Amino acid sequence: MPMPHPTILRMVINTQPRLLHILRGVVRYYAREGGFSDSEVNALAVAVDEATTNVIRHTYHGNPSGTMALDVIDYADRLEFVIEDSGPKVRPESIRHRPLDEVRPGGLGTYFIKCFTDGSSYDEAFTEGNRLRLVKFKGSRESDK
Amino acid sequence: MLKIRLRKLNDVAIIDCSGEVDLYSSTQVREALVKELNSDVASVLINMADISYIDSSGIATLLEGLQLSKKTQKRFGLYGLQKNARSVLHLARLDTVFTIWETEKEAVEKVPSTQPWAGL
Repeated sequence: MPMPHPTILRMVINTQPRLLHILRGVVRYYAREGGFSDSEVNALAVAVDEATTNVIRHTYHGNPSGTMALDVIDYADRLEFVIEDSGPKVRPESIRHRPLDEVRPGGLGTYFIKCFTDGSSYDEAFTEGNRLRLVKFKGSRESDK
Repeated sequence: MLKIRLRKLNDVAIIDCSGEVDLYSSTQVREALVKELNSDVASVLINMADISYIDSSGIATLLEGLQLSKKTQKRFGLYGLQKNARSVLHLARLDTVFTIWETEKEAVEKVPSTQPWAGL
């Protein structure tokens, strides 16, 4: 059942990999509440997981003392997940996934984000770090329920 | 979040994984793979029947295992993939790179007749 108004949840965690499953749980909860199918729920969990993993790996270079925030915004027509960090500014134009025919570890996170969301963008006006917005529209959902 | 059990069936090492494989837990899988692929078994299988979630970190670990299997000339494969794992591997076009079986019985029976991965 859709929420009657955008619901905002903000979670702030340290950049410790052992905490990532908590964020996935939050994503799954809101994705289910938003009416998405089981496969879409998992896909959104992957997308947010990949984005937050990238923050840990690339923005903070594995430093577990950083912080990042996950905002969940539930609109009538879409769900948005916004990931904020206070690390060095990312250059979006430098982000690209590895070619799929290059079989090697790594380089798939941004590809999965692109596949599993209906859009992702950095807020260039956000000056305290990085702010990545992931969008999934509710109208395009599958019917495997 | 992730539980790992190691067991052997004849000359096959089986890594039973249960839970979710992400940036944090993939290190456990990596450690198990390094241990078994450097042991004296001929084949190493990962039982993915109870893996409910895997991300690109987990997939990277599986690929590291595949690369190490080439180096150590061990047969290497996966079995029991659930829908979520299967779909991300398919999306990354890796479901034809790994040797994948449906069941443990099939994997254990057929892995001795496969060749170690030769790379791409």
